Amino acid sequence: MTFLSVALVALSVAQDAEPRAWTIQVERVYTGTGRNLEKGLVLVSAGKISAVTPGAGEEDDRPNDVLKAYAVTAGLVDAGVRVTNWQSVEQSKEVTPHLRVADTLDPFALDWDRQLRGGVTTVLASPVDRNVIGGLSVVLKTGGPESIADRTVKADAVLRGSMGSEPSAGNHPAFGRPTDFFSRRPTTRMGVEWEWRNAFFDTALNLNEEDPGRATLVAALQGKLPIFIQAWTTQDIRTAVFLREEVESRPEFAAAGMNTPRFVIDAAAEAWKEPQLLARSQTPVVLPPFPTAGRTRENSQMAWNVAKVLKDAGVPFALSSHGSGDVEQRLANQAGYAMAGGLGFEDALAAVTSTPARLLGVEDRVGTLEVGKDADLVLWSGEPFQPGTRVVATIVDGVLRYEGWNAVQGAAIAR
Amino acid sequence: MTTTMKRATCAATLTAAFLSLSPEARAGDGRLAIKVGRIVTLAGPDIENGTIYIEGGRIVSVGTDGGRWDAEVIDHPELTAFPGWVEAHSTRGMDRPNENIEVAPFLDVRDSIDPINFYFEDCLRQGVLAINVQQGNLCAIGGQGRVVKPFGLTIEDMTLRPSSGLKIAIARPGRSRALQAQAVRRAFRDLRQHLEKLVQDKKEGKDTARREALFQGRDPDKDENKKGRAMEGNAPWKVANLESIPRGEVDEKQEPLLRLVEGKMMAFVACDGAISVVQALDIARENGFLANTVLVLDGDAWKAADRIAEAGVPVVLAPQLLHVDRDPITGKEVETFVPGIFREKKVRFALQSLNSSAQSLWFQAATCVGYGIPRDEAIAAATKVPADILRLGDRLGSIEKGKDGNILLLNGDPLAVTTSVQFVVLDGNVVYDRSKDVRVRQILEGVEQPNASAVDSGDGDDVDPHSGASKGGDKKSGASDKKKD
Repeated sequence: MTFLSVALVALSVAQDAEPRAWTIQVERVYTGTGRNLEKGLVLVSAGKISAVTPGAGEEDDRPNDVLKAYAVTAGLVDAGVRVTNWQSVEQSKEVTPHLRVADTLDPFALDWDRQLRGGVTTVLASPVDRNVIGGLSVVLKTGGPESIADRTVKADAVLRGSMGSEPSAGNHPAFGRPTDFFSRRPTTRMGVEWEWRNAFFDTALNLNEEDPGRATLVAALQGKLPIFIQAWTTQDIRTAVFLREEVESRPEFAAAGMNTPRFVIDAAAEAWKEPQLLARSQTPVVLPPFPTAGRTRENSQMAWNVAKVLKDAGVPFALSSHGSGDVEQRLANQAGYAMAGGLGFEDALAAVTSTPARLLGVEDRVGTLEVGKDADLVLWSGEPFQPGTRVVATIVDGVLRYEGWNAVQGAAIAR
Repeated sequence: MTTTMKRATCAATLTAAFLSLSPEARAGDGRLAIKVGRIVTLAGPDIENGTIYIEGGRIVSVGTDGGRWDAEVIDHPELTAFPGWVEAHSTRGMDRPNENIEVAPFLDVRDSIDPINFYFEDCLRQGVLAINVQQGNLCAIGGQGRVVKPFGLTIEDMTLRPSSGLKIAIARPGRSRALQAQAVRRAFRDLRQHLEKLVQDKKEGKDTARREALFQGRDPDKDENKKGRAMEGNAPWKVANLESIPRGEVDEKQEPLLRLVEGKMMAFVACDGAISVVQALDIARENGFLANTVLVLDGDAWKAADRIAEAGVPVVLAPQLLHVDRDPITGKEVETFVPGIFREKKVRFALQSLNSSAQSLWFQAATCVGYGIPRDEAIAAATKVPADILRLGDRLGSIEKGKDGNILLLNGDPLAVTTSVQFVVLDGNVVYDRSKDVRVRQILEGVEQPNASAVDSGDGDDVDPHSGASKGGDKKSGASDKKKD
């Protein structure tokens, strides 16, 4: 039986590490720029996209390796991938803005391969939300050299924190029993929000001169560093938006030149309830995976048309799989579920490529199929995001990092 | 409000949302003509602009001719007609799926199925029109399952086939493999000993079995219970002189197991891995029910695909179609697409839903297509094959003359993510209309219902199904709440 499992498995990682010159021949090129091609070629050289042209099927004398599939899109971007565990957050303080999650990431972890199998090539890795302000997230490629530094697209990309009950989960008030590490602030939603405001006001009023996180908070309040805040429920989304509006309107922040923070609400399951609130402040959101029975974490309710509601309201949004290794919960499926909720294909594509790339500030390198961008490509067996379509190959920086297996024909991609 | 009260209200409003049928209409003697843009018959080529004519709950004709017009007409040129999906095995929809008795062949899900469970409602919404409800895997012999339709307020209304098969679990989570396998084997040994004791007692002139039978309410003198019928079929083991025992004297706790050995009942044998498959096949051979065995697979059971092919039994696949193994040496994950293995080995396989809503049978079939299974085979694995496995192939699985009048009306390709079930016709009655489905709006559009709160609906994680059904109903139930309190 060992023979069987070796013979019939998906090849998880291709052997070569050098970027090759590729000619990708497909029926559909979905560039993500609005200009799609029927029967097109994407040419790759030196790890970059060198051409996107019509003309699949024609003989040519390029020395390139040829891959054929039904469709090609840019590599998917997940702005909410949850590949970190509790070791990614230093819990000796509630607010640790200066800590870098990059220092805790393991380039050998299996999560990266799982993402490659689902066509995800760029992710935002964040500390888990056990702190109110957990630290600095990093944007990195899912395939590449086995070193986090070499895979990094953007270090210190965003400041990560959380509203809601998660940062206070497990903490308890001190009275009644001997104090321990967890009898500490915050123990309530109020306490969590107070930590945010405390950190922001201290920064604006320069009361935290000694704090190693001060420079990070200054950059965040000046809008140089996006602030990703987890907020599942309407209640917590409101708290985050009102916090932002408070920073924008209070004289203390204006006087310090720190009144232009850029907020992104992460895991905003209930964003559909008050889209006008997000539209008013043009606060982008990252949506969590669609739940199967309506309700998801923090007892929030996530409607299947949430993406369409946000689209109609003019709120920028990205989709996320939260790093699930389950086949049916991968990022491409999330795009499909958003379509089931009424979102159009192009908008669904944007929500898993160009929009998250823009939210993370890496749109100059990834997110669309354009000449000069990183050769991060996903090859599909059919129309992308349909459950009957799968990722047949994933290319990162010109290197074939995942090649699927077809249960009937053997190779999933034609050469 | 007590649980019973909640259930009662829930039931009442569900029928409102899911189209109540008057008793006359339920009889299935109505005539219905369904005109659609496309009929996917699964019994030949698709038919463009066709009409399905249903009478007495059965399909009378399928074709392009206008048919007879003495029927109620459903005319939807924009929709596609598709046969209902068939769930070959499910442990949902019950009060609780497991009993605390190790060997319980006498139990029947009939007494456990909750007709107003959210699961059945969701099945209807997803177009799953036949479900083999079976016990869970915590007993050695779990009891008898039942094939039901997801509509009706009583078990009898819902039933397609009673006592569809016995649930047997070769391994049980948290228990040693040896102990569980032994428990299954012992169940058959106990049956044999019981039969031998009946013969022995008869020889010694004791009539305890007869008295016990009368006590249990069975008359051993009735025709079907009479002498000479105590064991039929080709069981590999026989009990000498069993002919002298009237069937009615066999203990009712043992009788279903005897029916299995006689080949009169099917066995749905849960195998959590390859090792369980080998044990399951051995036990089935030893006791003569291999021909009636369906293996319900999980984990790495696919690694025994050769053995399964050799035994010629069909399988119901685990909902996780992609099995992930960790290579013990490299630590890397190795993915195997399970349906591909069974297709290659020419084993008949049926798919199972991953859950009742987002990843129902259509999704599973679509996933198969993504991994290279030809489309017709993938669809068959959730329609025809499970219908055949459940021995209901003459009634379910395709749109053909003579089959049950079960039709889904879809607004697109059956396997597309954007497609949804618009209408369900069950036994010739329209039992679901998406435009009147309150909960689909809650799930899809997030329509908040006033007073929405958690409700005890069996699955526990759902929003209140009845608060939004109608304003009048709302006020009423609110008022009765207060009175109760």
